[in-house]
Amino acid sequence: MSISRRTFLKTAGIAGGGLIIGVVLTRGDGPALPIKKINGALQANAFIQVTPDNVVRFYLPRDEMGQGAIMGLATLVAEELDVHPAQLDIEFAGVHPDYNNPDFGVQGTGGSTSIKAHYRPLREAAATVREVLLSAAAQDLGVARTDLSIADGHVVHSRESYPYGQFTATAATLELPETVALKPKAEFKYIGADIARVDALAKSTGTAVYGIDVDLPGMHYAVVQRCPVAGGTVKRVATQAALAMPGVTDVLQIENGVAVVAERYWQAHSAAKKLEVEWLLPELLSGVDTKTVEADYQQALISSKADESKAEGDLDAGFAAAVKTVQSEFWTPYLAHAPLEPMNAVVSIEDDHAEVWSGTQGPQITQGLVARYAGVPKENVRVHGVYLGGGFGRRGYVNYVAEATQVARAANKPIKLIWSREDDMRHGVYRPASLMQIKAGVSEDGKISAWHATRVGANLIGGTMNMALPGILPTAVPKGVTNFAASTVDSIMDGWAIDHVSVEGLEGDYDFDNMRVDHITKDHGVPTTYWRSVGHSFTAFAKETMIDELAQQAGVNEVEFRINNTQRSPRIQNVIRRAGAALAALGEVEGRSVGFAAHGSFNSYVAQAAEVSVSNGQIKVHRVVCVVDCGQVINPDIVKGQMEGAIMFGLTAALHGNVDIEKGAIKQSNFHDYPILRMDEAPVVDVIIIDSDEDPTGVGEPGLPPIAPAVANAVYKATGQRLRSLPLKLA
Amino acid sequence: MISFTLNGKTVQTDDSPDTPLLWVVRDTFGLKGSKFGCGAALCGACTMHIDGSAMRTCVMPVSAVAGKAITTIEGLGTPEKLHKLQAVWAEQGVPQCGYCQSGQIMSAAALLGNNPSPTEADVDQAMAGNICRCGCYPRIKKAILTVAAESSAPSAPEELAANSTAKIGEVVL
Repeated sequence: MSISRRTFLKTAGIAGGGLIIGVVLTRGDGPALPIKKINGALQANAFIQVTPDNVVRFYLPRDEMGQGAIMGLATLVAEELDVHPAQLDIEFAGVHPDYNNPDFGVQGTGGSTSIKAHYRPLREAAATVREVLLSAAAQDLGVARTDLSIADGHVVHSRESYPYGQFTATAATLELPETVALKPKAEFKYIGADIARVDALAKSTGTAVYGIDVDLPGMHYAVVQRCPVAGGTVKRVATQAALAMPGVTDVLQIENGVAVVAERYWQAHSAAKKLEVEWLLPELLSGVDTKTVEADYQQALISSKADESKAEGDLDAGFAAAVKTVQSEFWTPYLAHAPLEPMNAVVSIEDDHAEVWSGTQGPQITQGLVARYAGVPKENVRVHGVYLGGGFGRRGYVNYVAEATQVARAANKPIKLIWSREDDMRHGVYRPASLMQIKAGVSEDGKISAWHATRVGANLIGGTMNMALPGILPTAVPKGVTNFAASTVDSIMDGWAIDHVSVEGLEGDYDFDNMRVDHITKDHGVPTTYWRSVGHSFTAFAKETMIDELAQQAGVNEVEFRINNTQRSPRIQNVIRRAGAALAALGEVEGRSVGFAAHGSFNSYVAQAAEVSVSNGQIKVHRVVCVVDCGQVINPDIVKGQMEGAIMFGLTAALHGNVDIEKGAIKQSNFHDYPILRMDEAPVVDVIIIDSDEDPTGVGEPGLPPIAPAVANAVYKATGQRLRSLPLKLA
Repeated sequence: MISFTLNGKTVQTDDSPDTPLLWVVRDTFGLKGSKFGCGAALCGACTMHIDGSAMRTCVMPVSAVAGKAITTIEGLGTPEKLHKLQAVWAEQGVPQCGYCQSGQIMSAAALLGNNPSPTEADVDQAMAGNICRCGCYPRIKKAILTVAAESSAPSAPEELAANSTAKIGEVVL
């Protein structure tokens, strides 16, 4: 049995009421909306406020971490209201059930869901505002509703046009329509158009505000020393030397370490080095090295019972029908997210109220954690939105907020907690390592007759819930109980259910008539969570390298082989066909080889061809052609940017990414030993977007999975070496 | 007291002399555009100009810049009066998360100051010290080459700023 993250969140009853909502029309019932109160304004729902002085304010319900949700969602609102996206006054929404992600049932940003989940609900919300404004205008002007239209933020009657603000007072008194018509695609003005990102100017002038940029009166800085091994606690600490340093006001013990508080950041940073801490190490993890993990996974493949995730057809018959059979194993390491803005949080507690400013993919969890650690009611915690200096999954796990709140409470001061890069690298939550084995057969007609994939490794839900549950469950539930609940989640995964993201992507895309996907759960206690494209980040490497091996064994061109085996999946087949044609058009370049891969994820389909050269054992990627089908496109330039960015992110993993464990501690510490792709290694990227009338699907993550196997397949062509471990290293 | 010039104004600080310039500029003088990324001169997010050269200020003790002229992203241009790199950056949709972009732009400005007509290889070399985790490299490179091309062409680059439709999406705190 396999369960999805969404199903899990729903069934675990942590969905904040559990209701998956469409348009929410809150008008005074339920908890108060965290919005500006403006006299005479029209507030038909949580998202859109129209003021008498013609400000159309959009409360952005998702977090902006670079993926362009701010632009995509603003465009949806702009379209139905006929207001240019750049004319909208956009504010980050606070925490409220109306801002829940319709796909999750909680207020979170991730899983490439923002556009997909809001495509209709946000347009309905905006169309509702439009309709009630038109009704108010008809009443105020004493004309027939049918004689009115809208254009550029104005109601138009005959040759006269009137700004929306003129009708907000009347509109606020009218009943809202129960159903509204959405604009047909043929009339789209902003959806599908290349319009400059609304946040680009602020981000080009240093004026965009991130969590690390927020200052408060009386604010002090905190730096925390943590146990090198996750889960360790303080045994004893000598604080005198740190306390004696200039500017230091407090040295405090918190759950997972010792915090130094000072007037200035550099003072706190310098004083924290003077702490002498003796740690109580966690028993299991402190004995773990990367080599132990690899060996345990290998042994598990041989001797552990696997849990079946999915099975179809008759695997034995499929292998019997095969004329060629291939079995290979693939290794992918632990990875850090390493967003460029290190983790940080600003927390202020006054009496029974608290405020927090922090880049987070989970504002609701953030609110709950601040409430828990500050000891104030959840509804008294105000979460302020800020830009995120990268997320990639890391900022869904807000342990930095928990730390900052503990320090602010104990020090009784507003606190800005800043992690160093070393803290970020060594005390994070990681993409889990995986060992994957695939055995597959090809029959006479070039079809994949049998496919048996097994993944060994840790799951993601348990680790993620460790931080999420204390934030989401009522504060009356003690932390010990929430930790127990999180561990229960983990043990559920090791037995009757499989965390679907652990195997996602191993079962898909191709016409597998006879197939089985298995999982063997092996958890060494390294904290794990979602990392851009999640399970697909490792499964696509195994699957698409294997497909290449099968095509080679069958003696068929790799594009033809994929087309022949995707008869039942027209959308993936189409991107394969288009990328194949683009590849052929590239022509052969002397000294370069082209590798191919395709993968569907987050309801989108991507095929990539990578042009690679190898010299002196160095792999250089020169050009990538990327074809994507993500349904209806909201902003083509952002889709293109996300494909480019995902390819670069995936290339970092393909060529460099590796986190090593030594006695339970993370060995890497900064960008010298955890290198990120740099400009001189970046390929040219050509993006082709399929024109589609299907509803929009994910864009932030689907560009990543195919790039590592595309490069590996090119390296095979160039050198004859089949590389089955990441990062790719030539023998 | 250590004294230096910050975006054209003389300033003084009593921060400890070993404090990196980055934190003095951010916290003592409140200019938040320059970012902290690595603390080890590995990522370039903290790049400022010191006497015209692009420098990593997260490892530069403030004592080392006494008497020198510092320019930050705020001194390069503002939303109202954009530097041509900033205008093209916004127009071409370069930033994603945006956190590295101040540093990228400061490195790019220093490059064009030294070499108004760089080749692609020159750009690669000059920008290799700046990490963009979102992977905006193709756009960063294109934007730099666009500005270089326009600067060498006779038409005035100011038009770019006037035509930019982008709006500040900054948060009001």
